[in-house]
Amino acid sequence: MSLELLIIIAFGGAFLTYFLGKISSKLRNGFAVLNALALVVMTALFYGQNIEKPIHISFLNIPLILRMNMVSWFFAITIVGIGLLSIIYSLKYIEHEKKLDYYYFTTLFINASMLGTVLCGDLVSFFIFWEMMSWSTYLLISYRGGEKALFAGMKYIIMSIIGSMAMLLGIISLYVNFGTLEITALAAQIQGASLSYILFILIMFSIAFIIINAFWPFHTWLPDAHAEAVSPFSSILSAVLVRKGMYGLYLFMYMIIGLDILNKLTFRGISFNGVFCWIGAITIIFAALTALLQNDSKRILAWSTVGQGGYMILGVAFATSLGMAGGTFHILNHCIYIGLLFFVAGAIEYRTGGIRDLNSLGGLIKRMPVTFTGAIIGVSGLIGLPLTNGFVSKWLIYKTLILGGNPLLAFFAFLGTWGTILYGYKFLHNIFLGQLPEKFRDIKEVPFSMQLPIIILSIMVILFGVLPGLALKVVNAVGTYLGFESLQVTLGGIASETGTLSTVNIFAAVFVACVIIGLIFKVSRRSTKVDQFDSYAAGAAVPKDKYHYTVSFYNPLDRMISPYLKDFVDAFYINLTTFIKNLCSMMRRIYTGYIGNYIMYIVLFLALLILVQLKWSVF
Amino acid sequence: MNIIEIILSPLIALFTGIFFLGLARKIMARIHWRYGPPIYQPIIDIIRLFSQKAMSHGFIFEMGLILSLAGSILVILFLPIGTMCPLSTGGGLLVILYVMLLGPLGIALSGGEAANPNTSIGISRKFILALCYEVPLLLILLTVMTHYNTISIIKIVERQSINGWSFGSLPLLLSGISYVLILPAILGIRPFEVVGAAQEISSGPQAEYGGKYLAFNTIEHGLNEFIGIALFVNLFLGGGDLFGVFSRITNTVFGNIVGIIVFLLKMIIVFVMGLFINAVFPRFRIEQAIKYLWIWPTLLAFIGLIIVIIVN
Repeated sequence: MSLELLIIIAFGGAFLTYFLGKISSKLRNGFAVLNALALVVMTALFYGQNIEKPIHISFLNIPLILRMNMVSWFFAITIVGIGLLSIIYSLKYIEHEKKLDYYYFTTLFINASMLGTVLCGDLVSFFIFWEMMSWSTYLLISYRGGEKALFAGMKYIIMSIIGSMAMLLGIISLYVNFGTLEITALAAQIQGASLSYILFILIMFSIAFIIINAFWPFHTWLPDAHAEAVSPFSSILSAVLVRKGMYGLYLFMYMIIGLDILNKLTFRGISFNGVFCWIGAITIIFAALTALLQNDSKRILAWSTVGQGGYMILGVAFATSLGMAGGTFHILNHCIYIGLLFFVAGAIEYRTGGIRDLNSLGGLIKRMPVTFTGAIIGVSGLIGLPLTNGFVSKWLIYKTLILGGNPLLAFFAFLGTWGTILYGYKFLHNIFLGQLPEKFRDIKEVPFSMQLPIIILSIMVILFGVLPGLALKVVNAVGTYLGFESLQVTLGGIASETGTLSTVNIFAAVFVACVIIGLIFKVSRRSTKVDQFDSYAAGAAVPKDKYHYTVSFYNPLDRMISPYLKDFVDAFYINLTTFIKNLCSMMRRIYTGYIGNYIMYIVLFLALLILVQLKWSVF
Repeated sequence: MNIIEIILSPLIALFTGIFFLGLARKIMARIHWRYGPPIYQPIIDIIRLFSQKAMSHGFIFEMGLILSLAGSILVILFLPIGTMCPLSTGGGLLVILYVMLLGPLGIALSGGEAANPNTSIGISRKFILALCYEVPLLLILLTVMTHYNTISIIKIVERQSINGWSFGSLPLLLSGISYVLILPAILGIRPFEVVGAAQEISSGPQAEYGGKYLAFNTIEHGLNEFIGIALFVNLFLGGGDLFGVFSRITNTVFGNIVGIIVFLLKMIIVFVMGLFINAVFPRFRIEQAIKYLWIWPTLLAFIGLIIVIIVN
């Protein structure tokens, strides 16, 4: 089996799905699922292979090169995995929308182009796939139409174009200087370049990758885009598409430029990686505090995506094998639980008629138990509670930061976790806990095809939390491929001289403790089940249906921090756009579009020239 | 040996925690010039509660409580009590920090399903308060970890028995003071009694518990007090060490017992001092608590961290 087949199936499947949709909608749905499944199986089969293969479709005399290695495989499997689940989830979720052929086509096309970005071995095709990804994403963000969605899409595409232009500049410069754009050849040649040139290249590409990763201060597109996109696509956006930026950073920082040069990029104590670490820390804190003030279920998750990106870059930019493992593992973990949480938010939307407002939900645990289980597992992973996957990766990152002698960064990372608890609990409480409003009395659980992705991802969160060794093996292989030392990975965690982690022990302890306490629970006197209105209100009368404390859940904190938490970056961008808009409308006063005016300009100009000539005779 | 420790240390924590609750009532009563209930009153209460009728609000209502108790017990297994630490090689202080989340989170989930707004208000306050004291607490823990250059709490305790208590060493002094300042908030006693404010929100998160649920909640409360103080004693007061007086009998069974007793005595002293603060202060409003916690303890802890970074 060859790599080009994988790419052909990915793109071909997308187009074929579109045309099959013209024949029958069932055929289209079935084919889309099969296509996504085929991609998962095929990608899985490439595990551990190291391929580099030029294909001669010459463009500017540069052949298209496909390659597969551990890093590519790692990102590819997350793309196709989430892609498959998202397609399965869409079957029911999207069923009553219009333009379904277009929806499935774009989703598959985005997946294919993302796959292209991680599988290509030269920068021209990287750029082409990257642009395909950006543009098709724009189409899908604004899929539902409406002012908000169009604005979100516009915000995304403008920022994305800025990033692409920076990247294009870098690519052209590389081509001019080295005459090649093949990644392996570049990696060899760039070692001889001057440090200032390498810094320039790194900054150019980093702009593109920071924007797509939505790190502070380029985070502003993400909350709008994620909240306005349809939920299955929000999953893809948040879980894998945003992390293409991480792939880009891996590619440039560690595969092309390499650790040796990166370590030399230090100017008066400020290193390139150090700057990235601080960007990560600011991103974590800013996003965590902003998220807990949100009242929209998907916006909370969107801000958490911004914040979790900070953890990844903290681990990756710290550039030790432990930190690298933590960062890489966190990419995988984030992909799993944020995908899960967006599916949960989508399930709520699906059953309640599109409600995302956290103040008007409540008590749904009694009606949607499977979704709730998914939500609680997802939120636990997001927080990083022990026995969920997020715990292991965060543990690795913290340990890196503390032993690396950087307690301040560790402090920001820890504090971000507390912010996560606050907004994670708010998400759970306002949707699922508390009292069930009368209007949701007859809500049912979502259909099975929507439950399935939730169940699969929930199991993975727990599995990688209890037996992290399964995934850490792959993560470790990514690290060693990038030139870091190998870690001693065991099935239940990581063993090293400076401190071991054994999740299996923790699991056993919690399990035994739970069983013992549960037994005491059972043998003591049985309790009676009571209605939700049968509660203690210290003698006050209980008004029905108005008895759910959700609105401004963290009000005292909100009042304290919100004056200091203005998103001034976003305000700056908005002001900038308004300024440019005004400038353009001033230009329009001159370019009126009337031929008469233009003739007048010409005549006036000629008159001026004649005047000048008559007076001073310059010509 | 290890199995005995695994069984013994939660039991010690359980009895100490419940003893603390009784002691608190007695001492508070004496400060108020009352006679007060007997010191074993909470034990009687818990036994009585188990036989009383209870009302449940659903599955998570029960599971949350079980989870929070299991979480607290897990923390205790990671905490050295004197020389005894059952899960000594499990990930150290970082894991403790994280497992400590399970307790409040379990109670929050359980209380959430109770569908009582008083409960929800209490939980929201608990989380806000936790976020606020966590800022100085994290700084303090990071300072200690940086100073001793380890993430293992056992090594931190060992170093103190060689070099003297952290509280007495100059680089860590500010952090120690900062920990003392936030200890009432960690224990949830006045002036930080905002979470379980009985007069305002009818005891907050425990409003809906009755019967065995209240019994478990009381146990959980006792364990929480134990954890908060034990962490302080371990990090700053040298664990089970008493100025090296008993250094000759360490590693014997008798030495271990002495270590545990010294440790518990230290805990009692810290707790009683906390009670004195509890007795004389009125309750803060939550905004006042935020302001207090984010200004003085944070400032001290931050300066402490900077000092340690410079010294190292």
